[in-house]
Amino acid sequence: MAATQASKEQKYDRQLRLWGDHGQETLENAHVCLVNATATGTEILKNLVLPGIGAFTIVDGHTVSGEDVGNNFFLSNNSIGKNRAQAATELLQEMNSDVSGNFVEESPDKLLDNDPEFFHRFTIVIGVHLPESTCMRLGSVLWSASVPFLVCKTYGLIGYMRLVVQEHTVIESHPDNALEDLRLDQPFSEFKNHIQSYDLDSMDKKDHSHTPWIIIVAKYLEKWLSEHNCQAPKNYKEKEAFRQIIREGVRKNENGVPEDEENFEEAVKNVNTALNPTKVPTALEDLFNSEQCNNITSQTPAFWVMLRAVKEFVHNEGSGSLPVRGTIPDMIADSQKFISLQNIYREKAMQDTAAVSKHVERLLQSVGKPPESISEKDIKLLCKNASFLRVVRCRSLAEEYSVDSVNKDEITSCMDSPDSEMVFYLMLRAVDRFYQQHSRYPGVYNYQVEEDISKLKLCVNSLLQEYSLNVNIKDDYIHEFCRYGAAEPHTVAAFLGGSAAQEAIKIISHQFVPFSNTFIYNAMSQTSATLHL
Amino acid sequence: MLADSLSSCKVLVVGAGGIGCELLKNLVLTGFKNIEVIDLDTIDVSNLNRQFLFQKKHVGKSKAQVAKESALQFCPSANITAYHDSIMNPEYNVEFFRKFMLVMNALDNRAARNHVNRMCLAADIPLIESGTAECAHLGYDIYEGMTECYECQPKPTQKTFPGCTIRNTPSEPIHCIVWAKYLFNQLFGEEDADQEVSPDTADPEAAWKPEDTAARATASEKDGDIKRVSTKDWARSTGFDAVKLFNKVTAVRQSELLFKDDIMYLLTMDKLWKKRKAPTPLDWQQLEDSGSGLKDQQVLGVWGYCQLFQHSVETLSSHLQEKGEGAELVWDKDDPPAMDFVTAAANLRMHIFSMNMKSRFDVKSMAGNIIPAIATTNAVIAGLIVLEGLKILAGEVETCRTIFLNKCPNLRKKLLVPCVLDPPSANCYVCASKPEVTVKFNVHKTTVLALQDRILKERFGMVAPDVQIEDGKGTILISSEEGETEANNHKFLSDFGIRNGSRLQVDDFLQDYTLLVNVLHTEELEHDVEFEVVGEAPDKAPTPPSNQEEANSITNGNKDSAQPSTSSKAEDDSDDVMIVDSDEEEAASSATAKPAPSSGTKRKHSDAETGETSTKRPRTTQQSSAAADNDDDDDIIALD
Repeated sequence: MAATQASKEQKYDRQLRLWGDHGQETLENAHVCLVNATATGTEILKNLVLPGIGAFTIVDGHTVSGEDVGNNFFLSNNSIGKNRAQAATELLQEMNSDVSGNFVEESPDKLLDNDPEFFHRFTIVIGVHLPESTCMRLGSVLWSASVPFLVCKTYGLIGYMRLVVQEHTVIESHPDNALEDLRLDQPFSEFKNHIQSYDLDSMDKKDHSHTPWIIIVAKYLEKWLSEHNCQAPKNYKEKEAFRQIIREGVRKNENGVPEDEENFEEAVKNVNTALNPTKVPTALEDLFNSEQCNNITSQTPAFWVMLRAVKEFVHNEGSGSLPVRGTIPDMIADSQKFISLQNIYREKAMQDTAAVSKHVERLLQSVGKPPESISEKDIKLLCKNASFLRVVRCRSLAEEYSVDSVNKDEITSCMDSPDSEMVFYLMLRAVDRFYQQHSRYPGVYNYQVEEDISKLKLCVNSLLQEYSLNVNIKDDYIHEFCRYGAAEPHTVAAFLGGSAAQEAIKIISHQFVPFSNTFIYNAMSQTSATLHL
Repeated sequence: MLADSLSSCKVLVVGAGGIGCELLKNLVLTGFKNIEVIDLDTIDVSNLNRQFLFQKKHVGKSKAQVAKESALQFCPSANITAYHDSIMNPEYNVEFFRKFMLVMNALDNRAARNHVNRMCLAADIPLIESGTAECAHLGYDIYEGMTECYECQPKPTQKTFPGCTIRNTPSEPIHCIVWAKYLFNQLFGEEDADQEVSPDTADPEAAWKPEDTAARATASEKDGDIKRVSTKDWARSTGFDAVKLFNKVTAVRQSELLFKDDIMYLLTMDKLWKKRKAPTPLDWQQLEDSGSGLKDQQVLGVWGYCQLFQHSVETLSSHLQEKGEGAELVWDKDDPPAMDFVTAAANLRMHIFSMNMKSRFDVKSMAGNIIPAIATTNAVIAGLIVLEGLKILAGEVETCRTIFLNKCPNLRKKLLVPCVLDPPSANCYVCASKPEVTVKFNVHKTTVLALQDRILKERFGMVAPDVQIEDGKGTILISSEEGETEANNHKFLSDFGIRNGSRLQVDDFLQDYTLLVNVLHTEELEHDVEFEVVGEAPDKAPTPPSNQEEANSITNGNKDSAQPSTSSKAEDDSDDVMIVDSDEEEAASSATAKPAPSSGTKRKHSDAETGETSTKRPRTTQQSSAAADNDDDDDIIALD
């Protein structure tokens, strides 16, 4: 067991550096369902099998054809005539023996007829090239079961993705430019005492040049506040004046020349961000005020219980501030000074987390749940990421497709420029309509291309009419979509396979923020767009 | 029509790693029939999470060969040739490159990228360049004469550390890690005079004075019999018998030498510590146990690292012994004892120099230049660049784009950011018609070898340069023929009459590349800077850069190592990765994210123009008479 653990660590080394052991664990516990093993479908699954999801199940009632083999890497000539789910499972399984591959040789429609609860068991369902009717049925089953649903389609040189998830919470959103949480503007008492323990003037030279910049800024800020009516430097001019004061604090040698004190340079450099006022981000305030946060029941997911506990903390012990994050950046200092400063923050973070835990415990008790139903580890992680918590909510497919709730504004405003990626969304909808009427896609048979063009145009017009969309779709696009003949070029499938798998990993691991809610890729111009539909 | 040209088109894929595997699959399934793939690397376990053509049973085998076999299993009709070799091998000359209609780079290091760029320019073959970062990608095309070449925009040079910092005054963990890797090579690996680990007495900052001699003598006495000699000499003197040298007792002794006595010696160079916190020597006897158990992401106590050091030295020395006389070990981040050794040695040194110690996981990241890598990003980029390849083959170079994939949608909700390819830079020292460059250095202190290795090979990416002085006599300074000019190696350039304003004509016959180097003599280079290329400010933050500049700084970001990665060699992970600062990225993308018009004309690609050949500029064919044949009247001088 220990040996397999070590070899897994080796095999997954490069990705552990992205999402950590706990992220990997969520992947290994995930069961992914793929509906339809087309080229796009198997490309997505390949990119999930390689990083090691726990299991996958392919649902596909199709038999492998010659065309399938032409663009799908995970089907070979020997698979022609076999069930597509089975053939693809065998080859996908080869890539990673840690993954358990399963298949169901049935069409999704049949499964939905006989056993809709079949789909409830999955961490995420990925539906590829579904006809509109199947997509809507599956979508509503998954929506009511709160199973995330990722709809994907490669149509000629267009890629399409739609994420359907009622609510997706993210604790580790991995923000790019997170500000440090240093509390220089409102030092807690332990930090205040620590600052007091330094006396920059009486230090020897070595200690002076090895004092962490946080202490330097804190010291000069104290001085500034006493001289400026307790108002911290706010605008550029004041901040510059404050920097100048720090610069003047650099020790001078016997000739009056300033010494080379890198810690002071760091202090000057960090003034701007260090003086940022500590406050609860507005996005988080909104979450605090949301229904889920304020109405805790025994059914409430752990995320919201913990969020509510943080809210309680802010209103009580925190006196308006979030729990201290407890980390400080690397800086010039000797080990002893750095570590003792680090410990001040770390211990305060531990105290705050403990206070949040108390609230969690109380909340759980109030709804009759045992305190251990939420682990200390999870609370700690949430407290550490409190400023960066994110909740993604998508509209349901039913809302998107209903004449009453269609997002007309988004569509018409995008279509102000007639070549916006939105046009491809409308074309895909029109093509779906064509399929519903003719049980085949436009242009699949060469001899029909001409007549299909006019048929597709009818579909476009009826779509626009139905939703009373006053937009213009160029004939060029109608020709182009007929020319595609529902082809699925491998390179476009490969691109979409990478993108969709990445989003699936975000959903599974609850790390990083997934897109919301529609993504269009245009392989002709190599452009893409995210739309809200 | 395009389909026909695909099956007859011959394409070269350079690299069979993360992007290479995806690329091979995409090419085969798009209908390319004739593919050659080259990679010098072998398969490692850590490749398996994304390089899907490889399985556990393939570990240790050639990437190119296995990739070929796996791809053929799926598509038996393809005609794939695999080379387990370096693309920089002279066998792959211009003739070799001319066989192809298209070259696609899936490389991880700049040296090879530069080289392939030049070969493609010389052979007049279009090149598609690509690279990925953990969540940002890029692909672009290079078409001679019409677009920028890879080297048109200066790339930030790879970060190296001055010898004195490594040997005397480390201030960051990375300095200690580099030192530990040097130490590994000193003790177990290949000799390299540039990788000295013992204190550098020539450090100008230490400014040795006669009165310091006493202190030095005291420190020397503590060494007992051991004179202040290089680590390697010391190791040799401790025993011609490898068993004695590395048995348990000497392992302790060795660690004291490195972590106690060398540090005592450094302390005597007190000038160094006036402004810095002085290091604290370690004493094996005094250290006490503090913590046990080895877990990757945990930081051990000092004693823990002492034990780890001792243990890894024992293991490594027995490995060395097993390999027999004259054997050498090669440091490999994926070899546990080698990684243990560097973790322990680097951490002990960090402790001595008052830095916070790092876990093995973190040390591995830095020592191995590891960049996170996943399957999804490679899949995306490989999909993009094959489409670009199709455009080239369809003759639509003008529609080709440099494409960036952002980590998250930018302000205009775009994930993909295509940019029009720039025309060639007139000042490019590679693709300009007569490339010229001015280099600033001290002619009295720069040796011929330094010119060859540091400037011509490392900085300008040549493989086997010939150098002729334009002094009217055509004096040959460096010849790529073996045995002709080696005697010059350690002479200074001034010995050959090179001075301010001298011009050197440098040729690399393999790359079919000639560069004229203008010498600017200076005595005012910063300490530890050997030379400076005029007109470049490497490692400076780009001041409001134009889009394309920004783009290039992303492509070749700070992680682009100068050396190819191999499983058995030290550097880098097998995917080239650029860390994209999202601030810059956003600025760049919002400025450039004009959705390219997808008008109807673009899609009708059959009536493509064919005139691109006429716009190509003639390649410099100027042949140097210099080192080509040695029986002409050029005098080869070797000073004594």
